[in-house]
Amino acid sequence: MSPKHDIEFALNGIRQRVTVPATMNTLEMLRDVLGLTGTKYGCGEGECGACTIQVDGVSMNSCLMFAVDCDGRELTTIEGLANDTRADALRASFVEHGAVQCGFCTPGMVMQADHLLHKHPEPDAETIKAGIEGNICRCTGYKKIVDAIACVGCTNK
Amino acid sequence: MNVVAKKPRTIPESSLIGTRIPKMDAPEKASGRTRYIHDINLSGQLYGKILRSARVHARIVAIDTSAAKALPGVHVVLTAADVPDQRPIGVARDHFPLKGDRVRSQRDEIAAVAAESEEIAAAALKLIKVVYEDLPVIADPEDAIKPGAPLLHPAPAGAQPAGATVAHRGKADNIAMRFDYAHGDVVQGEAESDVVIEDTFKLHYVTHCCMGVSGMIAEFDASGSLLMYSNTQVPFLHKREFAEYLNMDPARVRIIQPPIGGGFGSKLDIYPFEVICLFLARAARRPVKLVFSREEEFLASPTRQPVLLTLRSGCKKDGTLTFRQVHTLHDNGAYTSWGATTPFVMMQTFSSLYRVPHCDYHTVAVYTNNPYAGSFRGYGNLQATFAIEQQMDEMAAAIGMDPLAFRLKNAQHTGEVTGQGMEFKSCGFTDCLNTAAQRSDFSRKFADNAAERNQPGHLKRGIGMASMLHVGGGAKIYPSDGCGTILKMDDFANVTLITGASEIGQGSETVLSQLVCEELGLPISALTVVNNDTAITPWDVGVHASRTTFIAGNSAIGAAKKAKTKILAVAAQKFGCTAEELDLRGGCVIKAADGEVVTELSKLIRNLHFSDKAELVMTTFYYEPPSVHQGKDYKGDVSAAYAWATQVVEVEVDTDTGIVRMLKVTGAHDVGRVLNRLGIEGQVEGGIVMGQGYALTENLMIENGVMKNPNFRDYKLITAPEIPEMDVSFIESMDGEGPQGAKGIGEAPAICIAAATANAIANATGVRLYDLPFTPERVYRALHGQTPKLYWKPWVPAA
Amino acid sequence: MTELERYVAPTTLAAAIDCLKDGEVTILAGGTDLTPQTRAGRMRIKRTLMNIRRIPELKGIALDGGAIRIGALTTITEIMDSALIAKHLPVLVETCRHFASDQIRNAGTLGGNLCNASPAGDTAIPLLVLGASVELASKPEDKIYRRSIPLSEFFVGPGQTRRSLCELLTAVTVPLPAPGHVARFHKFGTRVGLDISTVSIGIGGTLKDGALAAARVAFGAVAATPLRAAQTEAALEGQRLDAAAIARIAAVARDEVHPIDDVRATAWYRKELIHNMTKRMLENVAQA
Repeated sequence: MSPKHDIEFALNGIRQRVTVPATMNTLEMLRDVLGLTGTKYGCGEGECGACTIQVDGVSMNSCLMFAVDCDGRELTTIEGLANDTRADALRASFVEHGAVQCGFCTPGMVMQADHLLHKHPEPDAETIKAGIEGNICRCTGYKKIVDAIACVGCTNK
Repeated sequence: MNVVAKKPRTIPESSLIGTRIPKMDAPEKASGRTRYIHDINLSGQLYGKILRSARVHARIVAIDTSAAKALPGVHVVLTAADVPDQRPIGVARDHFPLKGDRVRSQRDEIAAVAAESEEIAAAALKLIKVVYEDLPVIADPEDAIKPGAPLLHPAPAGAQPAGATVAHRGKADNIAMRFDYAHGDVVQGEAESDVVIEDTFKLHYVTHCCMGVSGMIAEFDASGSLLMYSNTQVPFLHKREFAEYLNMDPARVRIIQPPIGGGFGSKLDIYPFEVICLFLARAARRPVKLVFSREEEFLASPTRQPVLLTLRSGCKKDGTLTFRQVHTLHDNGAYTSWGATTPFVMMQTFSSLYRVPHCDYHTVAVYTNNPYAGSFRGYGNLQATFAIEQQMDEMAAAIGMDPLAFRLKNAQHTGEVTGQGMEFKSCGFTDCLNTAAQRSDFSRKFADNAAERNQPGHLKRGIGMASMLHVGGGAKIYPSDGCGTILKMDDFANVTLITGASEIGQGSETVLSQLVCEELGLPISALTVVNNDTAITPWDVGVHASRTTFIAGNSAIGAAKKAKTKILAVAAQKFGCTAEELDLRGGCVIKAADGEVVTELSKLIRNLHFSDKAELVMTTFYYEPPSVHQGKDYKGDVSAAYAWATQVVEVEVDTDTGIVRMLKVTGAHDVGRVLNRLGIEGQVEGGIVMGQGYALTENLMIENGVMKNPNFRDYKLITAPEIPEMDVSFIESMDGEGPQGAKGIGEAPAICIAAATANAIANATGVRLYDLPFTPERVYRALHGQTPKLYWKPWVPAA
Repeated sequence: MTELERYVAPTTLAAAIDCLKDGEVTILAGGTDLTPQTRAGRMRIKRTLMNIRRIPELKGIALDGGAIRIGALTTITEIMDSALIAKHLPVLVETCRHFASDQIRNAGTLGGNLCNASPAGDTAIPLLVLGASVELASKPEDKIYRRSIPLSEFFVGPGQTRRSLCELLTAVTVPLPAPGHVARFHKFGTRVGLDISTVSIGIGGTLKDGALAAARVAFGAVAATPLRAAQTEAALEGQRLDAAAIARIAAVARDEVHPIDDVRATAWYRKELIHNMTKRMLENVAQA
């Protein structure tokens, strides 16, 4: 059995102390240890983006991140973003533009879009597409997702 | 009671039909609050995992599970020997959930474990020892039908039970299913032809790649009743089947369907993992949760049907089609799922997309040691359309006719009854062709691209078109193709719509709510939909065949109409007028003539409830479409309506690399009528991009029965930067039977893309490709003359 | 076979190198490759898992004399966003745009990408063209000892480098390119970043009178390691890039590589791509 470690970090603005096996990834910690199921498992290899969270303000695949490496860092998950009024416009835009179908990719997509909008407050369509290249959606064909993000970008102007 | 107010309030007429209504479940999904099956945990649950075969084709000599059983935290280890009562599953009942004596594909289930954690379950699998004796691998369906080929399902030794299935009695050949259809006389058709073309087409393996992997939770209660959390698309059919597999009363099986992370047809059949999960829960006497990894999802989910197809078609110099003769060899894989039955759809396209006086169709689906094919959005129609629409271009070129004009000449029209007995009561095909061609400037670009083909430069532009016909009003496959609805109104005029139709992400909840609101003059916010529990919802045949909007929609409208009749009758009596003089609008009873408010609907309902009559507004409705079952000759009007579409694809081909970029898709879809514009755009755009993946990038590589790329790194789904510009038009043919005139279109948008892309590449480069997908290397080889012309000489074993 | 016994996250270079003396250490940086490799069973985590992310001196990009020094922990995103790199090493920024996805660029590090030593590794190609070296630190006694080896000598085979078990890759140094230096990078794939390279090509040199001097050519995914193409470089050196020369050089490139067939492409097609894309890149250089 893998050795266990005590770590402490900020999760959605709340201090967390957890004990995790050294080989556990952050996705498993969030879902199985902390019970936050908004972050999704899609592939476990960083290829689909369903598990995207933000760590110290940048987006990452939580499935690729060792849970022990969360120690001392600040994590934001979709649950944290859902509590954040700043992201209301983004979520509303996803809803109104029809960017959600089965919804399984949506939490990761929203997390990545939020990061993208931080870095590029008024992104053009090409920037948006490149920004969400690591997020696979099987339902929508991406167009409405790009539109939804662009619309938030427009109101940032 | 005098209802005349001082200033009578009037409510102007308005309609929700055709507006853009966000999905009702989208806010929860966008907040990460939606709980999919992966997110549900029952207290005391165990985790199930399956040991799959390490070989493609082998006899199982021995299985030793003792070390796994001894591992702390392991509660149950099962092999076939531990479940002597297991029954054969699958469309042809040709395999057992746990394989006992023989494995026939890489995915085959040999043993299963239920343990206290996934980690322990995985560790236990590694401790199971299996001794195999290799058998010859049959990876090529052409080999499988050769006389004397080794049998995939030989008769097992010993006496077989009466009425034995394939799994019990075996099969004397490797033919899983065959289909033979004809109308007219192809010999006569060929004699009348000025041009005859024959080509072979090869269609590859792709798979659904639902973002949410497969999973199931099973729990037996104290009295032995079964509760399943399952993402099946056909809960009522499966409820009965699961009961059969467990030899229990179907009344004691309840299925709850949590929100689904993508369906696309993948959840139409019962797969071994589901039955195994039940066995584990039964043996453990605890809830068991079994969820796939992504790799397992690739290995053990169904695929789209791979097909080898030779098509021979003819036409006259004036462009009239004369005949089509089709032979297909379907690689069934090791077992039979719905993929084997795709000929039901394929033959419709061959016989009826265009007017063809003579048509002859044959399919042989053969067993091999490959993964087995299931149902997948489009159900054979992508394959059939790929062949037909390429030959339409080839024939047009052969007689010197514009591809659009050639298609228009042979297109179906409203009122026609085809050789297969399909009746087109609404048909916007000609409008689809003209709209897509005009909006894309097809004919000019087609000519310009061909003229510029030999100019210097490594980038070549091409444009191509393809059209499709697909069922749009259900499909009468089962004894009933119906759907039930229960509608109840509360004292505040809110509606709970209880429907048998499942939501798989396509937006059925929203469109059904919209149809009910339209009847009852209510805002969408007044609606709650319940659609996920067989203990509550009325029967429905399931989500498939693009049927939900049409069938469940008509059912919901039926229930709403009954409620409306009841409400208006009460109102008429109360206000001393006839029901015909009243209507419902804006949450009120109004005068139909001028929209003047008579009373608030909620008030009327409360009056009814708390009166001497003490009545609630609750209605039920069951809708059965007026379609018919096909005869043994596959003829009959199997759907209540048919959807049409034309899609024009524009590409840029890099001749230095073979990379094909899809620049633009112009689609025109006969959808009957647009109900939720936002929803239908989403369905079409998603379908186009799924078609793009089928055409260009997705390829499940199977070598000698072994999957080479069970991951998203090398199984390439389309990502955002690759999507084409999309210009989608809707042709509203107002189907007489459809809900508010609408037809089903769930599958339609994926169907034409590969065919149109092939035509576009031919337009760009002068080179025609007959096998999918159009990956860079395949295109590059073809452009450099490295690809010999594909030819499969149809060989049909005697029936 | 040893099992993972301990996890450490040292905060100083000295402590990290001390830890390496154990010999059975798996180094964790961004984790973007380590996780999929270990989960798929292609790689095993050794007795000690050492997270080096908390060592400040492994971070940062700085101009250091005549070279740019990029700390091993610098993420791909940080390279893309660096004004210094954009000014002096634009080809590296261009390469980083083709590196996986935003999420992976945010986590993945330059040092990790080089130490993985994938034949198809993206960053190695432009760095080979730029003549980069890697800095390896060890601590034989109680003092940190650093050695520098050219990147062209660093790779040994798939997943194998000249880094010894007791060394840590601390930085990459890239000499400032001479005035007039041009460099191009091409990664073949239908997806901008996510695709693993089928082939990748880097070409660089000092452009003068339509010819490249001090020409360097590097290829990825055509051999067991990313490599410099000596014959192609020789054919390219000082040649005026007219159509005939370009055709000749492209043919040399095609003959020089000996790729294999795999799930992504056949050897034949890879050679064709090397030829066609080398040609196209040289045509582009000639027009610069």
